[in-house]
This record gives sequence, structure tokens and C-alpha cells, in this order.
Amino acid sequence: MKKWSVILVVLVTIFGIAQLIRPKEISNRPLSDLKNVPKDVNDVLRSSCFDCHSSETNLKWFDRITPANFLVNGHVLAGRKALDFSGWDTLTTSQQNNILSYALNKILEGEMPLPSYSFIHRDSKLSPKDINLLKQFLLSRTPRKVSDTAQLQQSNISFEQLQQNKAKHIGKQVVFAPNGIAYISDYRNWHAISSSDRFDNGTMRIIFANDIAVKAIQNKQTNPWPDDAVFAKTAWKQQVNADGSVTTGAFVQVEFMIKDSHKYAKTKGWGWARWRGNDLQPYGKDALFTAECISCHQPVENNDFVFTQPLNLHSLIAQSK
Amino acid sequence: MKNKLFYIGLSFLIFVTSSCLSDHKIRLNDEVSVQASDDLPENPLLLHPITSSIQPKDSAMSTLYANDVAFDYASEHSDAHYPIGSELYEVTWKQQPDEQWFGANIPKKILQVERVSIGSDNASVYTLYSGRPLKSVNTDNHSDRIVHIVSQRMAMVP
Ligand code: HEC
Ligand code: HEC
Repeated sequence: MKKWSVILVVLVTIFGIAQLIRPKEISNRPLSDLKNVPKDVNDVLRSSCFDCHSSETNLKWFDRITPANFLVNGHVLAGRKALDFSGWDTLTTSQQNNILSYALNKILEGEMPLPSYSFIHRDSKLSPKDINLLKQFLLSRTPRKVSDTAQLQQSNISFEQLQQNKAKHIGKQVVFAPNGIAYISDYRNWHAISSSDRFDNGTMRIIFANDIAVKAIQNKQTNPWPDDAVFAKTAWKQQVNADGSVTTGAFVQVEFMIKDSHKYAKTKGWGWARWRGNDLQPYGKDALFTAECISCHQPVENNDFVFTQPLNLHSLIAQSK
Repeated sequence: MKNKLFYIGLSFLIFVTSSCLSDHKIRLNDEVSVQASDDLPENPLLLHPITSSIQPKDSAMSTLYANDVAFDYASEHSDAHYPIGSELYEVTWKQQPDEQWFGANIPKKILQVERVSIGSDNASVYTLYSGRPLKSVNTDNHSDRIVHIVSQRMAMVP
């Protein structure tokens, strides 16, 4: 009995002294509601996300106790760095839509709010009603509108520019991606493994795969994908025609995932790269841009970080006829 | 008794390992693919994609595929005069929301395949395949479909 009380006293003392060791105080500047966002949506974001993703961080008393405060402060600082709603009003509508769509998908995956946080902060958990509210709000911001003359002109110019370059075979040297990956120029001759209609950002995509990836599909060896398998995802603007149909407009970008489990071990076994626009500008300020790719592809980790469920490209038919 | 325990233990282990493995399962999208039983002259999904399009009213999306002759032509021309020997396939799928990404629609299942081939007399022959498995069906007025298919311009890349 006595022994236990001694241990208890020691523990309480250590705990007490530990309270003197504290991380740097987290700043807390109130943030007014996000512009052009309805009150109920603002309320959801404020109660579930703002603590870690804005200047307004309302910590509870139990978040301030050592050692919890070290953990919480770490989350807040990392969270603000990854996504900060404080700059919302300075963003363009399409940047805002990208954030909303990314945020919603992180919620749907159960990654956000951080489970360790919502386990204690029960009120930060989103109800199905909250989630539906965000879905409806995002849909309301991304309607399909018939393309205006300026947009049509833009897609015609893009098309003609590209077709002329093709005909003349102008082979301009494309700048390497910041992580040292070289542009791959022949992907347009590869097989398509799927297509997607990204109504959230008004683009449509064709996902191409090189022969090694297609072989892997035919041999049903796609998880993990074999080394040297490459995907190229191409995005074009959606051109909405007067009859409501949607066709490919101006070229937006091409993104690559190049499998090499050794060479790219540090980036989940894939080399990531993106080039934008008709002049193929490499994307990313420095090699760290791949962190963006990986964190968005994280939910499909079990599928070797690949979202697309490929068409079954068997050649059975060709053989049997 | 010991034996029983052993088998219970073993089946438990198998259950656990198989459910772990199923985490890394092979996901090929057979629903959206052409089947061996489909009555098509070749697998159009193995040809070159020229472009894709969406019909939101019907929740459908299509990809236009071409053989080498037609693909080479479309890379440099957009006048719809495909040369003799061209084979074009417009494959149309029902769309479904992408469960992995709110904000995207992806193919769900093949609704129909339309084939336009340019014969030696330069005439375009149209065939519509539909149903499950896909079988060629008679169509009367399809000249507008031919025009629709041959006049799509290529989705260009730099
Ligand atoms: C307890 C703190 C915390 C809360 C609450 C929280 N997040 Fe996060 N969030 C983080 C941290 C830390 C990161 C960055 C590290 C990482 O990628 O895991 C992050 C990353 C993100 C990212 C990815 C940004 C990127 O590029 O990596 C998104 C999107 C996001 N959070 C959305 C949300 C949304 C939406 C909510 C509210 C529903 C939310 N978060 C609530 C801590 C939090
Ligand atoms: C905001 C989320 C997000 C970010 C950031 C992102 N991706 Fe993706 N990526 C997706 C989604 C969703 C798909 C599935 C296809 C679709 O719907 O567009 C995809 C598909 C792909 C594919 C086709 C193979 C597959 O996984 O299906 C490639 C290649 C690819 N991305 C490359 C990249 C590269 C390179 C980067 C970084 C420069 C990147 N992605 C960043 C969401 C993202």
C-alpha cells in the first residue's frame, strides 16, 4: 500500500514539473466567415477544420496539458502549412473549388479531421448531414455551363497550335521536372486504360499506359505494378456544346507515374511528374512537389497508389477470331 | 480435440491472411470492358484513342478508337475524310460516380459500340453493337451517327 502511494506521489510530481515544459504558444487570430460560402458550410469548417487549418485555433484546456500540447501544437503547425483557410478570400474561384474538393475527399476517406484529434474532440466529427451539405455546396459551385465564344476560341487555338506542331514535327527540348524526371513524348500512342469526367474542375482525362503496364493488366499482375510500368494522365478542358454534350477543349496538362521500386523508393516506388500547357512547363518549385501528389494518392495506397481501375485490355477476341 | 483446435486455428489463420491479401487485390474493370463473348471483329479498346466525349443528359461517356490508318490520319487532319482501310469504333459507357474521388465520373458498363469502316469503294459502313453480350443490330437511319463519329477532332497533346 505504502509503496503505491510513493509511486503515485512521484508520478504526480513529475506530471506537475512537466507542466513547466511547454511548446511555443500557438497564435490565435479570429477568422471571419469565408466569403461567398454559406453560413452553415462555414460553421462546419470552423468547428471541424479551422483549429488546424486557419489562424483561428481554439484549443481546449486538455489540449494545453503537457505532453498533449506538444502533439496538438505539432498538428496545428503542420496542418496550417498544408492548408490554411485564412488566405481564402485572395484565391481564385477555381483554386477555392480545388481546395473544397480536396478537403471533401479527405473527409470522405476518413483522413480528416485527424482521427486522433476527433477521437477526443467529439464535436469536430462531421455528421452525414454535414458531409452532404459540403457535397451539395461543391456541386452548386461547379455546374456545367455551355462554353462561351472566348472558351471555344481558346480550344480552337490550342488545337490548331498543337496540330501544326505535329505536322511540322517540331521537337522542342522539354525542361526536366524539378525532381529530375525527363519528359516522355510518345505516350499519345499508348493504350488508354480509362477515362474520367472531372466535373469538379471542368476537365476530362484519358489515362494512358505503356506496354509494360498493359502486359501487367493482361497477366493480372497489377498490384504491385511491375517496374517500368508508366501511366500518363492527360487532361483537357471540358468544352460544353450547345446541345449539352461535352467534348475535349484546350490541352491542360499531362502527369506521369513511373514505377521503379528502387530508384523511386523514397516516393512510394513511383516517379511523379507533371507538365502544363501547350509549352509543357514543368510543374513544381522544387523536388518537394511530389509530396502533393503522394498525399492526394495516399487513400489508394493499397492499390499501389493508383486510382484508376483499368479496363481489362485482354486480346482474347483478336486471338479467337 | 487437439485436431479440432488445430483446424479451427488454421482456418482462422487462413481467414486472417486472406483478408489481409484481399487488401491488395487486383482490380480490373471487367464490367466496363469488352468480353470474349461479345460479337465484335476485334477488341476496340486495344486500338488508339482519338478523343473522348460526355453526354451528361444520358449519364454516358464515350471514347472514339481508331486503327493505325485512321489514327495517323486524325493526327494531321480534321476534315473527316478518313482514308480507305480506316476503322473507327465509338465505345459508349454508362457513367458512375467515382467512389474514390467525389467530383469525378468514370465508366460503369458498356452500353454500345458503333463501328465505322471505310471500304475500298470509299463508302463508310456503319454497324451498331448493343445488348449483353454485344451483338450487331440492324439500324435504319444512321447517317447522322456516321457524321458524328468521323467529324470528331482528335484530342491533341503537345
Ligand atoms: C488536429 C489537426 C487537424 C484537423 C482538426 C484537421 N486537419 Fe487537415 N491536416 C492536418 C495535418 C497535420 C495535415 C498535414 C499532414 C498530413 O498530410 O497528414 C493536414 C492535411 C490536410 C489536407 C491535405 C493538404 C496537403 O496538401 O497535404 C487537407 C485537404 C486537409 N487536411 C483537410 C482538412 C479538413 C477538410 C478538415 C476538417 C474537416 C481538417 N483537415 C481537419 C491536421 C488537421
Ligand atoms: C487533389 C488530388 C490529386 C493530386 C494533388 C494529384 N493527383 Fe494524380 N490523380 C488523382 C485522381 C482522383 C486520379 C484518378 C483519375 C481522375 O479522376 O482524374 C489521379 C490519377 C493520376 C494518374 C493516373 C494513374 C492513377 O493513379 O489513376 C497519374 C499518372 C497521376 N494521377 C499523377 C499525379 C502526379 C504526377 C501528381 C503530382 C504532380 C498528382 N497526380 C497529384 C488525384 C490527385
